[in-house]
Amino acid sequence: MSEKIDLQIELLQHYPWLPSLKELYHHIASKDPHLFISELFSEKADSIKQRFLKLFANAFENRESFDHFPINESNINFYLVLKILVYILNTDAITNRVANLYSKTMYKELSQENDYYLYQICQDLNLDVKYYQNSIQYRIRIIKDKKELSKTHFRIYFIDFLKLTSNLQDEYRKLVNNPISEGYIFILKQNLVRLLQEYVRGKILEIKGKEDQDITNLRETLLKIPHFKDLYEHIKNLWELKKEEFEYSIEIEFKDGERMDHIFPPCIIHILRQAQEGSNLTHTERLFLVFFLHSLKYPIKNIVDVFSTLPDFDREKTTYQVNFAKNKGYTPHSCETLKSLNLCKASEYSDELCLKGYYSKKHGEERKIKHPLFYVQYMHFKSSNKQYKNTAKPKKEKRDAKS
Amino acid sequence: MQNHKFLQRIFQAYYKEKKDSIPAVSSISNREFAFIPWNKEIMMRHIGFEDLPSLKQYIIKLGPRHMYSSGALYETPEHTNMDQKGFRGCDLIVDIDVDHFYTPCKTDHDIWTCKECQSSGKGMISKCSQCGSLKLSTLNWICKECLNIAKNEIIKLIYKFLVPDFNINLEKIHIAFSGHRGYHLKLEDEKIRTLTSNERRELADYLTGNNISFEILGFQQIQSNIYGFTGNSFDWSRKIVNKIKEILMQYSDDQITDLLTQLGISQNAIKSFIDSREHFLYTITSESHNIWNIEHFGIKTWKKFLEGIVKQVGVEIDEPVIIDIHRLIRYPGSLHGKTGFKVQELSLSQLDEFLPLNENDDALNPIIFESQKNMQKIKINAPEVPRTQIKGESYGPYVRDEIIEVPNHIAIFLICKEVATLV
Repeated sequence: MSEKIDLQIELLQHYPWLPSLKELYHHIASKDPHLFISELFSEKADSIKQRFLKLFANAFENRESFDHFPINESNINFYLVLKILVYILNTDAITNRVANLYSKTMYKELSQENDYYLYQICQDLNLDVKYYQNSIQYRIRIIKDKKELSKTHFRIYFIDFLKLTSNLQDEYRKLVNNPISEGYIFILKQNLVRLLQEYVRGKILEIKGKEDQDITNLRETLLKIPHFKDLYEHIKNLWELKKEEFEYSIEIEFKDGERMDHIFPPCIIHILRQAQEGSNLTHTERLFLVFFLHSLKYPIKNIVDVFSTLPDFDREKTTYQVNFAKNKGYTPHSCETLKSLNLCKASEYSDELCLKGYYSKKHGEERKIKHPLFYVQYMHFKSSNKQYKNTAKPKKEKRDAKS
Repeated sequence: MQNHKFLQRIFQAYYKEKKDSIPAVSSISNREFAFIPWNKEIMMRHIGFEDLPSLKQYIIKLGPRHMYSSGALYETPEHTNMDQKGFRGCDLIVDIDVDHFYTPCKTDHDIWTCKECQSSGKGMISKCSQCGSLKLSTLNWICKECLNIAKNEIIKLIYKFLVPDFNINLEKIHIAFSGHRGYHLKLEDEKIRTLTSNERRELADYLTGNNISFEILGFQQIQSNIYGFTGNSFDWSRKIVNKIKEILMQYSDDQITDLLTQLGISQNAIKSFIDSREHFLYTITSESHNIWNIEHFGIKTWKKFLEGIVKQVGVEIDEPVIIDIHRLIRYPGSLHGKTGFKVQELSLSQLDEFLPLNENDDALNPIIFESQKNMQKIKINAPEVPRTQIKGESYGPYVRDEIIEVPNHIAIFLICKEVATLV
């Protein structure tokens, strides 16, 4: 085996998301998933399960990293099973969490790599990166008569840079703020590693898919493996316990002809009333309302119509802005933010659900509403299960008291 | 209608006579084509052609008012659903059109009329100077000055940005005079074709200087000192410093005053700037000093100044064009229905000397209906028509109902501009 292949294998055992996995670990990467999982879970199933549960628990808790694993073939197996799990769990919020955690962990690992290995990783990823044994200078600053020279060993082709930074919003990564010459960006090692982190995150995010027959079939097949099923169920339970704290991409959706405003929180009711009365809305109120209605999958036209009573209404401009907000995909503000923006109307409307919270059977305790979308979810759940006994939901008379 | 039939007929005749000189764009069978006919204000889109001969046959028959092809390549360009065309990447398209930016000559030849209060005037305005209405109708004209400014922007784009910063191979660059008020640049490169709209937006920002952060590039205030750029960095700060040097070395005091006044800088600050120009030039050319302390120039004034410099350094591109991966651009060799001029392809070596309104090289002359012998009688139907200078001759200005006899190409130009009709 050549020195190069030895190096690639070592890198793959550490970073199994590298493309050469398919080539060098073809016997694993292309194995039938059922056979692969069956074999893997036939021995040491408990220790494997513990590792996964720890990873998912950390992901659900929004932690920054998890303990990495020994650099050997088990790490490759772990990565492949992780992808399969994310695929069949098929929940965007889980995929996002896992992608964040796994990529952040990789960032830590990659940060500790020496330059040569880092360069080899870029090569494996087919990134057009140049490495300079002697660092090259790209910026001079003089502060208080002292010269600060910025130097680096790395440059990356601008197309690869743009592809890796396209989802990063901070202005340090904007092309216009970066040093470039002859097509290559001068990039510090830590920034290059940050871009690789983004690549890893993207690799996991690309697993996201719509529930289709392929996913259903694979899930059914794999859940016939008892240890795997056990792991899957554990993760699902973990998620059920955690999701209400942060999953605001709720499943309740706008349906034509079906009114939803009776389950809206007072902060939204208040803004809608102002709009109906033709009062002007502040920029923040408008944004919050648009994000909120987008989250409930209201059609663009319906959202635009809400603004049609406003004094400065311009259908064309509003449609553009509503579309723009939709494309950005922002979630509405949390209750905490709404309070800081003075948009929380819980006290004004004497809304008991907002003020007192609700009893969580899962947690066996009283909990506070932390997000207006969870308010909707809770109200929807209560009303659809006909268990609503006028305990948490504020009385209609009270909600209408200010009208 | 009579005008349109006339124009369609002569456009058809052009395509028939010059069919051998209509160039082929690369990957013609993967491009979407679109046409605007003379008889309807619609764009006929989603049209595909197997090869150049079938395209030529089509345009000889149609004699279209406008003709476009896509910057993008598709598996099935004729598919009406964009998602099902099978997108295979898009060339980088840059449009530099004087419609979108200020040129001094607009105050001579661009006419606006307010649809609300009917007042009118000349120049480039965004709202009526009388009543503030945004509803304006405009008559935009062309002259050698504004076309020269557009040409210089293309040259700046290539030699100040694409080549030094992005190492773009000149052979991959295709340039064309648009046939009206600007130039197009098409960059055909396999890697660049893969860029998404968002990624192209980053390129647009780089070329224009939009969203630049002076702080990230090193501009900062520490206590009472302003620390500026050194000019030795491989980033936008070098471009800014070079422009400032050019201003300090080449501009007269009056020119500096005009520039800074346009940027909204106070007269006190302008006076200080001019008083300090020697010292400031020394500072920004020195390798060991970069304290930019000028009286009345606080951090806010500096930013205002730097933003103005960035505007001068950046390229005046039409941003939505470069970002849009499904954009259609005028087909080279086709005729522009608003002028009757040809969309003229140009090599880089031809670009420098090219004069669209007075080109001596027949092969590059976009005014293909030029004729000093054939005269046409036409009637002016617009309230006011600015003076037109083409081929060294001056025509107009004219006013409504004037009947004039002008050379064929001028008549076609004025009819295409919809300010005159056949008599």
